[in-house]
Amino acid sequence: MRSVTSKLSDRRADSLNGMATTLDAYLDELEARTIYILREAYSCVNPLAMLWSIGKDSTALLWMVRKAFLGDVPFPVVLLDTGMEFPEVYAFRDWLVDEWNLPVEAELCPPESTVDQTLPPASRHAARKTAGLRALIEREKYRGIILGIRRDEQAIRAKERIFSPRNGDGSWDPRMQPPELWEYFPYDIPDGAHVRIHPLLHWTELDIWRYTLREKIPYVPLYLAKNGKRYRSLGESNITFPIDSNADTVERIISELEVTRQPERAGRAMDNESEDAFERLRTSGYM
Amino acid sequence: MKQLRIVMVGDVDAGKSTILGRLLVDVGQVTEEKLRELESSSAKRGVPIEYSFLLDAFQVERDQAITLDVSRVWVRTRDAEFVFVDAPGHRELIRNLLSGASEVDAPVMVVAADEGITPQTRKQALFLQWLGFRDILVAINKLDLAQDPQAEFQRRKTEVAEFLAQLDIIPHAILPVAARNGDNVVTSGSLTAWWSGPTLLEALKALERRERQAGGPLRFLVQDVYRRDGSRFVAGRVESGELHCGDYLTFWPLQTGARVTRIVQWPRVVERASAGSPVAIELDSRVFVDRGAVGSRASDAPELGHVLQARVVWLGADSAKAGETLRLRLGTREIPVTIQRIDEVIDPETIEPKSAEELRSGDVAIVTLVSRELIAADVALGGSSITRFILVRNGTIVAGGRVDAVVGRARGEGATNVVAMTSSVETHERSERNGHGGGVFWLTGLPSAGKSTVAMAVQRMLFERGRNVYVLDGDTLRTTLNVDLGFSDEDRAENVRRTAAVAGVFADAGFIVICALISPFAADRELARAAYPNGFNEIYVSCDLATAERRDVKGHYQRARRGELAHFTGVSSPYEIPKAPDFVVDTTSQRVEESAAMLLEYIEAQVLEPTTLRA
Repeated sequence: MRSVTSKLSDRRADSLNGMATTLDAYLDELEARTIYILREAYSCVNPLAMLWSIGKDSTALLWMVRKAFLGDVPFPVVLLDTGMEFPEVYAFRDWLVDEWNLPVEAELCPPESTVDQTLPPASRHAARKTAGLRALIEREKYRGIILGIRRDEQAIRAKERIFSPRNGDGSWDPRMQPPELWEYFPYDIPDGAHVRIHPLLHWTELDIWRYTLREKIPYVPLYLAKNGKRYRSLGESNITFPIDSNADTVERIISELEVTRQPERAGRAMDNESEDAFERLRTSGYM
Repeated sequence: MKQLRIVMVGDVDAGKSTILGRLLVDVGQVTEEKLRELESSSAKRGVPIEYSFLLDAFQVERDQAITLDVSRVWVRTRDAEFVFVDAPGHRELIRNLLSGASEVDAPVMVVAADEGITPQTRKQALFLQWLGFRDILVAINKLDLAQDPQAEFQRRKTEVAEFLAQLDIIPHAILPVAARNGDNVVTSGSLTAWWSGPTLLEALKALERRERQAGGPLRFLVQDVYRRDGSRFVAGRVESGELHCGDYLTFWPLQTGARVTRIVQWPRVVERASAGSPVAIELDSRVFVDRGAVGSRASDAPELGHVLQARVVWLGADSAKAGETLRLRLGTREIPVTIQRIDEVIDPETIEPKSAEELRSGDVAIVTLVSRELIAADVALGGSSITRFILVRNGTIVAGGRVDAVVGRARGEGATNVVAMTSSVETHERSERNGHGGGVFWLTGLPSAGKSTVAMAVQRMLFERGRNVYVLDGDTLRTTLNVDLGFSDEDRAENVRRTAAVAGVFADAGFIVICALISPFAADRELARAAYPNGFNEIYVSCDLATAERRDVKGHYQRARRGELAHFTGVSSPYEIPKAPDFVVDTTSQRVEESAAMLLEYIEAQVLEPTTLRA
């Protein structure tokens, strides 16, 4: 009797180990691809900078930057600041900059009155970041900007390439994208243009949380549920809303995401104002 | 939990996006709200519920009902996670299909039952074969439009299987689907009640991941060299095999070698790294290693050579011809290559090779590429990144390719740890004693153009003026150094390479070297220049074919015309006229003495001019 029980539990342990091994191998593979892209970008595109939104994705990406470059972050980490982030976000930023010794540069975004007034209100607000980014690239002459966007976030982002060449004004023509074969990225960037580099494109929201848990990467506490609400995606405080959730640990967030049917950016006003709001933002240079 | 990456291919209207949309709905991943939105969105455009709208996010796509660019869709079930790459079937957007398909585990080909295999499907299948997929799924869709779905399915199934067999592709399964109704996508349905095989979702779950080659020979691809606290780290990725601390690595193509003393996967130091791992390694000596190098064990070296035979897909908007020089990116290395020859282009209609003068957008072709620089590549490893390459023209990616063969030099075994000695006598010292510098004067032209005759005449003149001069004659060398070589294109390339190497040594020793070789291919002459880049002169001995054939000093033209000589330049093998020779002598209109005198003047100007002396 005893031996049967122990055999059963052995088998269960085996299958659990098996699952952990394939998941680990899968996360290793995602990470390896990201590190390869980061090293390619650093070798072949200069000058280079990375945008850090302080959210879970670009923070996980920062961790992988450190892995790629032996603990260093060898390019400036830029914060596009509208002054409208949550106080918890600013507090987390200050703590991590210190903790990881990050070479940060803050870029203050121009006021809303300067952006395209035909955009819906929340998109107009988001467009401030586009304007801030454009000003930064123009001033610093960056040829490459590393961004932590993922294809599964949003249908328009799903069309992105890992290296996405942009015109001088940052605009994106999704119909004229160069081929991207295997891991050969286009490095030849004409003067005045730049390339957006997306090393997290192949990750999903679930992958990021599984990786964050495994690697013990810090994150803004607003992602965890408090009083039945949590933020699933973090944007500026005036255009971002929490979702109903009881996930108060990363493990619970993972369980929640394994079954949810709600889109990740449901709480981001600018995505949902009109059918084409996000497409208009992106083609004019939004992240 | 199995994670699989799948690409959807098929003609424009075969229903790829509809299948994916239906899959999303039937596994329960679409909210009620989204479904309602879909209904209203479809109604607004006057169509019944259109599942593909779930994918085709762009406004323009919804309005034209086609997929414009590669998109990704995530489908999650209890025991498997899928990423679907939805590639467009549109003719002009083949580059997008390739971008999407080059990163996946397996393709699903969608064939509409009412259309069968279209020219576009043929072309896509050719690309799938080119990308190295052997295992694919085929969904015969739109069976809801057929009068007798079962009979229609059988007919299409046979047609598809026969077609794919021509490409050596054996489908994992060919299954019936009526995506609009959801039959046999996730669950079987009334339209496919007769079908006893798997549903599409079941068949998808049975596919296997394409793994990196853990068992293959060690290949370490160098991306960069980082310096930290006085130490040097070579950063890169293990492409295949396994890297161990203590391994002695040889870095190709420079053949420098050193032992691995530490493998870092920050923040950890590891004993070994498996295929796919990004690492930074420390070496026991300060040998030269840089981006572009490939590390291997000395006993398991990649192939080395100057000539590649490769299977390419041409993506450039403008076509390409033999003779064009492009940039080759292979692994992390980037070097110039010249298209020496377009061997054949595959006709997508018949899957048969045919000859072609140029590469046009969308062509799958076999080409011969030649480089001045030594190339290290693999041919056996299907998935390795030093088998796959791209070609770049003015900063734009114009082709993808796979190396079929490396020609021009044997494996580098036994040549490791060779260090070139520095000479105890410098070049300028030799020039000063001789009263002139060395140089290579490479005479190229048709057979019987007068290359050897002019070379001999000039040699006599230079000798009488007290110059150190020697003629390397192609025919003479073929009886000694090059006795093992024939007249195939590869052997001609090797003939040129060896002759140029010998000429380079003579020139270094202070000699004026006159080479007389037909050397019909521009790419080979470029190779010759590389052997002595600062003192190489391409001399075109110009003579029209009729005149050369009339002279026919050795009777070869006559024999070639009778079909007795294969590969005879000017008759059965092409001669590429130099585009920008350093000097031209015209033996059609000039006598030998005139040509020789002009050449003498040119040579003296080169070797006596102090600025051309190699200091």
